Order: sequence, then structure tokens, then C-alpha cells
Amino acid sequence: MVGLLTQLPLIAQAGDFVRPPGEGPTSCVGENNTVCIGWALDNIDRWVTPTLEHLLLVSASVAAGFAIAFGLALLSHGRRWLEPTFIGATGVIYTIPSIALFLILLPITGRGTVTAVIALTLYNLQIIYRNIVTGLGNVPEASRDAGRGMGMTEQQLLWRVALPLAVPEIIAGLRIATVSTVAIATLAIFAGAGGLGDVIYTQGLQNDVFKTAIVVGSLIAIAMAVCFDALYVAGQRVISPWRKVRAI
Amino acid sequence: MEGTRPTEGAGEAVSVEFRDATKRYPGAAAPAVDGLTLDVPAGEICVLVGPSGCGKTTAMRMANRMIEITSGDVLIGGSSVRERRPAELRREIGYVIQQVGLFPHRTIAQNIATVPALVGWDRERARARARELLALIGLDPDMADRYPSQLSGGQQQRVGVARALAANPGVMLMDEPFGAVDPINRERLQNEFLRLQAEIRKTVVFVTHDIDEAIKMGDRIAIMRQGGHLAQYATPAELLMDPADGFVEDFVGADRALKRLSLMRVSDVDLWQAPLAHVGQSTAEVRAKLDGAEVPYALVVDGERRPLGWLSDRNLAGATVPQSPDHSPDPKVEREDVLRDALSDLLQAETRYAPVVDAEGRIAGVLSVEIVSEFLTSDDARVEEHPAAERPLG
Repeated sequence: MVGLLTQLPLIAQAGDFVRPPGEGPTSCVGENNTVCIGWALDNIDRWVTPTLEHLLLVSASVAAGFAIAFGLALLSHGRRWLEPTFIGATGVIYTIPSIALFLILLPITGRGTVTAVIALTLYNLQIIYRNIVTGLGNVPEASRDAGRGMGMTEQQLLWRVALPLAVPEIIAGLRIATVSTVAIATLAIFAGAGGLGDVIYTQGLQNDVFKTAIVVGSLIAIAMAVCFDALYVAGQRVISPWRKVRAI
Repeated sequence: MEGTRPTEGAGEAVSVEFRDATKRYPGAAAPAVDGLTLDVPAGEICVLVGPSGCGKTTAMRMANRMIEITSGDVLIGGSSVRERRPAELRREIGYVIQQVGLFPHRTIAQNIATVPALVGWDRERARARARELLALIGLDPDMADRYPSQLSGGQQQRVGVARALAANPGVMLMDEPFGAVDPINRERLQNEFLRLQAEIRKTVVFVTHDIDEAIKMGDRIAIMRQGGHLAQYATPAELLMDPADGFVEDFVGADRALKRLSLMRVSDVDLWQAPLAHVGQSTAEVRAKLDGAEVPYALVVDGERRPLGWLSDRNLAGATVPQSPDHSPDPKVEREDVLRDALSDLLQAETRYAPVVDAEGRIAGVLSVEIVSEFLTSDDARVEEHPAAERPLG
């Protein structure tokens, strides 16, 4: 157990971090308890790599989560008995505390991005799967009957009718999953994967509280979540034009 | 009957034959459809009608295998539907349901082109066909790019019919297609469909619970009763004249005599003749003609034989026939009017006689309440030729 704990980045990396220098055009950074925006802007390079890492973690785990949840949804489509099984299984995973899940995975997959992405992907399954399944159930009974009656096979009904009609629910699921992943991915630092957790925990909490880093890391995370959300909304407008159209 | 299987785009109407078709659900005490045998000749509308639970929809859905046949068969164009792959079979059969079931995420044109897309028409051809059908059903072709939610219920129902016609099927199945629209729109849709059918001549199996709709739409009507039994299969006129049994008699309603009137036009009955008078003619001449005439009133007509009015006793007391007689010629009815409407006009005007005019407004005879009541009690009303009505087997 002790061996495991020493793998925690906080402990493992203790001492790696050098306090930001107090010089430069703005020197309010000397006081850790104030938020020093000027310094944060002057040192913009500090945030770029963690932000890109974070983007990668979120994109990769949401994409992988979607791919797996989509596969599960196709598998359980038309096999109703599988649905509670999948919802139950993904639900159990969802309840595992994230740091615990990282610790469980560390000995198996090692430190780094892969471990973090696996954990984050597992967390996404529940939300995305549930939404895909709900969305697939959206087809009006009359449309389903008309589709069959006109000679659509079950596969054609699924791909040409059910899935397009499920797009709004699927995107709603992706939005929730993405926003929560942006938040949870700040803990990926405990799997040694970097990201904004590097800013918030390593720079912000090392030795002493460094408020500027905590606030900057959080602001970037919030901005990232908002941008992702806007992308989804725009995407849905393009994919599901029928949804925004109102009856005259 | 041999071998004219409907092929893609061929569109030629073919017969539909139910051969002892039976549907029995596992665990159900009685079959839903019990040994249904009836022939629908190519190009005719056969209405399946009956109370709810009589199996009419089940029977219809056996024809495109939306419901699997337990025993017996349905032949389309002479070949068994049981030998066809269901999806392929269905693409050759138009399908219209009460709730329409348009795809909300597809434009009107895409909805109409559903079956063409399934059978592999290219985009251009499917789109051109959608526009052609929009025009055929009386919708603005500019609606092609709208979504179903932007259309009224009646418009959606028309699109549903257009979608069923898209790949030019020989047979159409229509399950209460106008059941969900308001009465005024329903009547309009019925009339439009009849006009369309006169043009396209599909073989139609039409399900309704409304006997008036059945009488209006059907070339033949199959009345079904609880337990999936066929009670009577006959033309509307025959059904109203000779109900096979008490059930049919009850189902067609106590007013079946009146319903028969809606199947007839004024030109179908023998009209009476009124003595005709011309403006300026001597009344003595007219009075002479009135002796023993079928209609005891003289009708003044103009040079084109168009009715001007009825002469009153006061008019007849004068020397010559006046320009404007005391009694207006109204109500006038047209030869092509439905007899029921013409009778209604007569009763509403509280008059016994109405001049009947042709399309040019020229006098063709006189319709009276007596003519109608005699017609209803005479054998003339019986419509000749009708193939043997199939009676229930058990």
C-alpha cells in the first residue's frame, strides 16, 4: 500500500516545482493569497501545455466513451434485457471515486495519459449510454410502423430513422459527459497525466497555497467547458436542422 | 390471374386475393381473423369495415406481412405473399396509416422519397418524383423542403398518401387514413382521393370503422364482425338493399334507405315532365296541356329552354304567359347532383317539385319527392351484376 501511495504524483513530484519568481513587470505574485492576473497574463506560456494536455484528455476520453457507449447501445438495441445490465454496470463504475479508480489502474496501466483516459472514459459510459438508449426510443410509434410498412429493414430503421431522431438526446448526453470530464480530468494529475490539474494542484497547492494558479487553472477549465458546449450546440444545429424549426 | 407480380415502378394495379386467410395469436382463445376469403379486383377500392376488434386492420396487415399469416394465404397479382421477403414485398405496396407516421427529421421531399430511396432510385429521380406527387395531391411543390412539423394535419395526411404512391405501387393499403382529421377536412381528403384514384386506378384495401366512409369510398365493402368473420362482401348498393343478416343491417344503420340515395345521381331516376310554357304564349294552350300531366304545374322556360318560373293560378287566369311568373323556379337541381342532396334541397325549400337542368342550365325534367320515395321502394334501385357475396364460413 505504501508503495502505491508513493506513486501519487503529489508526493512523487514533491520538490520538482520551483516557486514562481517574484520579479517581472508585476510582482503581486509574491503574495500567495492574492490573485495576480497581470502575472498570469505575462506568464501565459505556463498554461499552454497543461491546457493542451487537458484538451487531449477530455477529447480522447469523450470520444472513446462515445464509441464504447454507442457500441453497447447498438448491442442492446432490440435486446431489451441487455439494457438494465449495461446501465447497472456503467452505473457501478460511475460510483467509484475518481482518485480510487486512478489508484486501481496505476499498477495495471502505469502512470500517464493512457491510465487517465481509461478512467475518464469509464466515467463517461453511464451518461452517454443512457442518453443514446433514451434517444433511440424517441421514434414515434407511427413513424416506426410506417417505416416497417414501407419496407425498411430493422437495420435501415435504426440507421435512417432511430439514430437521426436520437441525435438531440445523444448530444445532450455528450454535453453533460464533456463538462463533467473537463472537471474530473483535473484529477488526472494523480495518474501522472498532466492537464489543468498540473496548474491547480501542483502549482497551486504545492508546499503552500498559490491562489493565482488555482484560479487560472479553474478559469481555463470553465472556459474550455463553455467552448465545448457551444461546439455541441452548433453541431446539433447542423446535424438536426429539423429540431430548431418551429411550426408556422 | 397468373404471374403479373408488381415490379418496381411498374405500377400496374393487380388483384388482391385473400384465400382462407387466418390469424391466430398464440394464447388467444379465438382467431383474430378467421378464414377470410375475398377477391379485390385490380383497380378497385375494397373497404374493410366493422366494429373495433373485428379484425379488419389485422386482415389488411396480412397483405403486406406486417402481420404474419397463421394459415391460408394472400395472393397479390396472383402470387403468394408468403413466398416473398417481407421488406421487399412491402416496398411494392403503398402503406398509409391513420397517424401518418411521417419521419420528423426528414423534409417532405425526403419523406415522399422513402421507398424510392430504399429501392435505389438516384437522388434526382426521387426528388423529381416527390415534386410531381406534391402537385398531384394538390400541395405547393415549394413545400418539398419543409419539415413535417410545419404542415397542418390535413397536409401531413396528403403527404402520407403521396409517400405511399412514390414508387408507383400496384396495391395500396390504407388503415383509417382520414380518421384523425376533422370532418370538414376528412370530406375534402376523401373527395381528393377519389379524384386521384379515378386517375391512378390502384387496387386499394381501405380500412375504416365508419360505414358512411365505406359507402362513399368503396367499390366493394367487406363488413366484418367480432372474431374476424366476414359478414358480407358486396357493392355498397347491394349492401344497402340486401343486408345479409341482422348484424349487417344494424351496422349499415336504420337510415340505409337514405344512404342509398347518396350512391345515386339525379340522372339515375326516371324524371317527370312538366308542361312547358313560353313567355307570351296563350294561357289557354297551357291550361290544355295541364290536363292529365305528370306535374300539375306549368314551367315557363326561355328560348334556350332554361327554367324561368312556375305559373300560379293567377298567372294562368291572365291571357298570356307573363315574363316573370309568380313562383321562382328554385330550387333547381342538376342532373349530376347526388340524389340525397337533391332531395334535401326539395325538402328544405318545402316544395314538391324541382326542375332538373343539365350542365348548360336547360330543362331536363322534374324531380319530385314521390319519385324519390317510389325509387326507394322499387326494384330499379337494385344494382345489377355483383359477384357472389362471400358469407362467413362458420
